[in-house]
Amino acid sequence: MLLLFLVFRILPVIGAALLSLTDYRLSGRWTFIALDNYTRLLTDSLFHQALGVTLTYTVIFVPLTVLLSLGTAVLLHQVVWRRGFFRGVFFLPYVTSIVLAAVIWKWIYDVQDGLLNAVLGLVSIGPVDFLGESNLVLPSIAVTSAWKGFGYSMLILLSGLQAVPRSYLEAAMIDGAGAWQRFRYIVLPQLRPVLFFVLVIETIGAFQVFDAMYVMTGGGPVRSSYSLVYFLYDSGFKYFDFGYASAIGLVLFAIVLIVSLVQRRLVGRED
Amino acid sequence: MVNLLERPRLRDTAPAPRTERRAARLTLPTLLTLTAIVTILPFAAMVVVAFAPPSGQTFPDALNPANFTFGNFQRVLSSSDIPRWTVNSLLYSLVSVVCVLLFAAMAGYAFAKKRFPGREIMFWAFLATLMVPFQATLIPSYILVSRLDWVDSYWGLIVPTLANSQAVFLLRQFISQLPDELFEAAEIDGAPEWRIFTMIVLPLIRPALATLGIFVFLWHWNDFLWPLVIGQSQQMQTLTVGLATLQTQAVPINQVMAGATITVVPSLLVFGLLQRYLTDSIAMSGLKG
Repeated sequence: MLLLFLVFRILPVIGAALLSLTDYRLSGRWTFIALDNYTRLLTDSLFHQALGVTLTYTVIFVPLTVLLSLGTAVLLHQVVWRRGFFRGVFFLPYVTSIVLAAVIWKWIYDVQDGLLNAVLGLVSIGPVDFLGESNLVLPSIAVTSAWKGFGYSMLILLSGLQAVPRSYLEAAMIDGAGAWQRFRYIVLPQLRPVLFFVLVIETIGAFQVFDAMYVMTGGGPVRSSYSLVYFLYDSGFKYFDFGYASAIGLVLFAIVLIVSLVQRRLVGRED
Repeated sequence: MVNLLERPRLRDTAPAPRTERRAARLTLPTLLTLTAIVTILPFAAMVVVAFAPPSGQTFPDALNPANFTFGNFQRVLSSSDIPRWTVNSLLYSLVSVVCVLLFAAMAGYAFAKKRFPGREIMFWAFLATLMVPFQATLIPSYILVSRLDWVDSYWGLIVPTLANSQAVFLLRQFISQLPDELFEAAEIDGAPEWRIFTMIVLPLIRPALATLGIFVFLWHWNDFLWPLVIGQSQQMQTLTVGLATLQTQAVPINQVMAGATITVVPSLLVFGLLQRYLTDSIAMSGLKG
């Protein structure tokens, strides 16, 4: 049991750090090359592309999914009618796999037979090649991922909303605050820790994006949806450059770590 | 819960005209219903296309129920390895659920209630592995599995995923809230360690095990990257990987959607049976899939 964790949890972490300092190839032969993999990353245009794509995707995905979760959470909180049912509906995509979401949405976005273009065709727009145009592909994938995952953050935010003390809202109402003012000055500040938690996990998730891109676009068109993890996967399992791929993995780890530290620091200061 | 933001009206202002109030009361439920319809629409479209005749794949032809057929399901089941992939996915998910729960309960119990040398260091090592994204350790894990000659086998697929730090962490938190007196009393009565574990720890943490079990099932059932890397032959792929390859081959969209419909059934079953349980526990613990 302990051995299992040592071998399959702790060893890979140490292994990743060590491997990234070697030129380990498929044959198993390797030499120690110190930081060469990292200096190579700095000048690798593919790495720059993957990093750029991942950042752009994160900037699109995180606000989209947080607004969607917050919006549905507030709606659910306001409307008592059939709440359990609606909560279930919004949570439904979350229990399915991102591969399934990607397969369905790839067809929805299809230029010829896709649902979306059929609908747009009714109002004489399009056809739009959502996954084939480099400036549309990341938003399209972000919509798919947000659809798949917003139910989770929605639940967290909903429980946060329900924890806002009623007396605060009633006091504000007696003072004549409108619905928006109550939301802006009472609910949002009360919700801040929960909101930050959601923000952190969604950002970390966005940096790890891969499945949807693998299924929907294969990284295309012309690598405009080629993420960091996709780059890692290709380096490892297409070019069998294991040392280099481990270095990419460590960069990903560093980014995730920095994001969570920065956001933690921000929350700490706000409190 | 009651409606907090909209419900109470100010006593010192005149009530809004009746029609206006009714409009306000209807806006939010309407908006909610519309959002729900948009959320469900992709699933509905998937099912419709899965049952539509191959020629009528474009809307609105596909919506005509008179043309519905099971042919797509028959064809995709006979032409692909979906039955085999389903078995693989079930094995991957169910074996993992049982082992992860058992291992995590044992480790969680040890970390929560036992004193042993190196406990603190080991627990911190566990916490540290929680911070590392799985993708960062993908390559070393793969090399490890290939050194063990486990690539393209159930061993390689399942065993490395059993060391689930998150599960250990959650159960440790849960077990450390149990009163120490329980365990002291059992020890004074001379109960051997395995009896304390099976007769006291396991029954007391049953609710936590149930929730965690659902999540572990969904994590594995929906997992993609690890099965993709390990299952290299057709026979060793899971449903998610199989579905992804299915749609890159020249399989008609109706059959792809039929396959997709099949893969979603177990998730829906789990969801339908345990929905309330699942949603409540997320709200409480922040468990993430």
